[in-house]
Amino acid sequence: MLGAFITYTLKVATGASPLWFVPVSAAAMFVFGIFLHATIFRRLSAISPNLDVMEEKSLIVGFGLLFILQNAAVLIWGADLHGYDFMTESLHFGGVVFTANRLLVLVLSVLFSGALICGLRFTLLGRAIRGMVQAPLGAMLVGINTNTLHPLCFGLGLALAGVSGSLLSMIYLISPDMGTPYLITALIVITLGGLGSLTGSMIGGVLLGLVETFGVYFTDPSLKILLSYAAFILVLLFRPRGLFAR
Amino acid sequence: MPEMLVELRDLTIRFGGIAALSRVTFAAGPSEFVGVIGPNGAGKTTLFNVMSGIAPPTAGMVCFEGVELTGRPPHVFNRLGIARTFQTARVFRNLTVRENVQFGLRFPWRRGGRAHDPHGETDELLARLGLIDQVEVAAGSLPPTRQRLLEVAMALATNPRLLLLDEVAAGLTQNEADSMAELIQSIQRERTIAVIWIEHNVVTLMRAVDRVMVLHHGEVLADGLPGEVAQDRAVIDAYLGEEVE
Amino acid sequence: MRPLTTIVVAALIIVLAILPFVASTFALSLTLSIAMYAALALSWAMFSGATGYVALSTSAFFGLGAYTCAILLGSLPWPLVVAAGAMVALLLALVLGLFVLHLRGTYFAILTFGISELLKNLIMYIEKSEFGTVGRLMMGAPPLSVIYWTVLVLVLLAAALYWAVGRSDLGAALRAIGSDEGRASTLGLNVRNAKIAGFCLSALIPGAVGAAMSVRWTYIEPQIVFNPFIVFQTVLVATIGGPTRLIGPILGALVFGLLQELLRLNFANYYQILLGLLLIFSVLYIPNGLVSIFMKNRRRTLKRASSKHA
Repeated sequence: MLGAFITYTLKVATGASPLWFVPVSAAAMFVFGIFLHATIFRRLSAISPNLDVMEEKSLIVGFGLLFILQNAAVLIWGADLHGYDFMTESLHFGGVVFTANRLLVLVLSVLFSGALICGLRFTLLGRAIRGMVQAPLGAMLVGINTNTLHPLCFGLGLALAGVSGSLLSMIYLISPDMGTPYLITALIVITLGGLGSLTGSMIGGVLLGLVETFGVYFTDPSLKILLSYAAFILVLLFRPRGLFAR
Repeated sequence: MPEMLVELRDLTIRFGGIAALSRVTFAAGPSEFVGVIGPNGAGKTTLFNVMSGIAPPTAGMVCFEGVELTGRPPHVFNRLGIARTFQTARVFRNLTVRENVQFGLRFPWRRGGRAHDPHGETDELLARLGLIDQVEVAAGSLPPTRQRLLEVAMALATNPRLLLLDEVAAGLTQNEADSMAELIQSIQRERTIAVIWIEHNVVTLMRAVDRVMVLHHGEVLADGLPGEVAQDRAVIDAYLGEEVE
Repeated sequence: MRPLTTIVVAALIIVLAILPFVASTFALSLTLSIAMYAALALSWAMFSGATGYVALSTSAFFGLGAYTCAILLGSLPWPLVVAAGAMVALLLALVLGLFVLHLRGTYFAILTFGISELLKNLIMYIEKSEFGTVGRLMMGAPPLSVIYWTVLVLVLLAAALYWAVGRSDLGAALRAIGSDEGRASTLGLNVRNAKIAGFCLSALIPGAVGAAMSVRWTYIEPQIVFNPFIVFQTVLVATIGGPTRLIGPILGALVFGLLQELLRLNFANYYQILLGLLLIFSVLYIPNGLVSIFMKNRRRTLKRASSKHA
């Protein structure tokens, strides 16, 4: 949501192509992530006796942050919907009509996701991150500096969220509460795809998108979230660990 | 051959591409005291995980008292008579010692017709394990060795017919380890239950148990009387290093 | 309870009961709000405080209770309407619990949060397509004093439930789950059933409260009653008060009720931000709630120091 608003504000203020502001959103969110980690999450990890308690406390803190940020956005930008036009021309490919901006967002999303997946799999940094996730103590023992890596990952996560928001601002109207449905969808996608599998999440995301779009076409747009939940529950019934669980 | 209490047949469990346990076949009788030894990573704790229902096997079968338990949730394993302790003692840290032990006793499914006296039985167990002087202490504040004793008490509270002990003597001095072995032996005899004991302190273990199984790379390397296993060439090469008395 | 405590509590209840006859509407409203927060927070803490599963479903239970009331108001006597709200919420908790209670903390939290959104959209759709309306008029609403007494009874029930569950086998089971779920399972506890039972019980009061409070609005629609702010308030109250002791949510409700009035008066535009900051501050620096500050010398502070293995 913040990424979306940053991009929107800058675009409207400067009139330049919003593509310039995608990295700006990313950078801003990254910095914000580091800030949050340093002020809040570091302390959380210090006062939590184990991982489950930390998860519990993080959830409550995150929930608080949700309210703070949403209300801050309302204060700054107002509660109404905002938007701008960008690449709204239609393209025709073999009888099917696309809007240029949606196509662009699709391409960029796939690119960014792919970059993340490849980065995690093939680079040294990526491997360090995966090592840290699987075995924090062991990672430290082999010289991985978890003190810098933790905030880095956190910042990276937020940066990517900012990028998504930025991309979304190009195709949809934005508002301070636009984030909530994506939060739920994100969780569903992660669980559907299979816990621990990034590629699974990506495929899960695509599948869910297809289910939502076709489902909504045949029923009603306001049932989108019901369809997501329904798809989610169905998958869980047959594959409780998700489609591609490790 | 007396009817086997617990039976594992062709038990295999894979994580990703690695087989933590490979075609393990093993059985124990109702009052047997069996030791399990092997190098780290041999699959010993994984074996216990399968036998307590925490980890369902990829292939193979777990049978207890003639009932197949493969794939059922942990609480079923426990309610049917299998209890275990963990390598790092898992006690309910924010509950008192007494509450920890009582947990295994208090629920309706435990009572099954017996006269219900949770306090009395709890105190009995605590006294038996030497914890009676610390009943109101928060379990998390006990030193690790006493937490292990607490874990044993908790497991026994569930009235098992098979007790799985995972390295309960780890980190103890030789004297303490011997005391522990004696304690386990006497409990085993008193309650006529089967006990399977994983331990690295091979010397202590070999002296206490009726039978030893050796695990290596997830496979059963040897299974027999302590004296025989100690002289088994393959076992000596893989693990023992020298002949053990 | 000690005799002195019993007398104090009894006196308090009597004072609260006669309030509609002696107090101003403002005072009555404020007390009503505090009672509501306390009831919601007690129910939340009963499950989430013990198990550590952060349930964000309060808004869903509340909203369902409100809609149950909207539909049944006038057709059934008031106590049955409120009870119906509780039952419908219980049903939701059962269905939801069966599907998401085996998931870990984060998934459980967000999926319970999403249920509120889902119900909101679903009801909006049904109202529009089946009934052709957006919202509903609350006709035949009882007077403020009746609402007040209802919620007062609900707070007492919530407290009684919290206390009873805390002493029961289920309470011991929930605390064990909060401490080390896997361990509890290997000691014979069917953790899934215990969680579902606890979760369902935690839905009763919010459903009833939703039904009771819905008549405070003359007109309701999904946007109003399925409001995430409700669950936010609930979590805040329980967290600042202290979720593991009975008096915690009650204390939290008192503090929060008064604080909110103050903040709304002076910082109308951004008091929600301040509340969010309060929540974060509370989690970071007062992890066991205000109760722990006042009761440091009590024998067993059941802190959420647990030994679950990741």
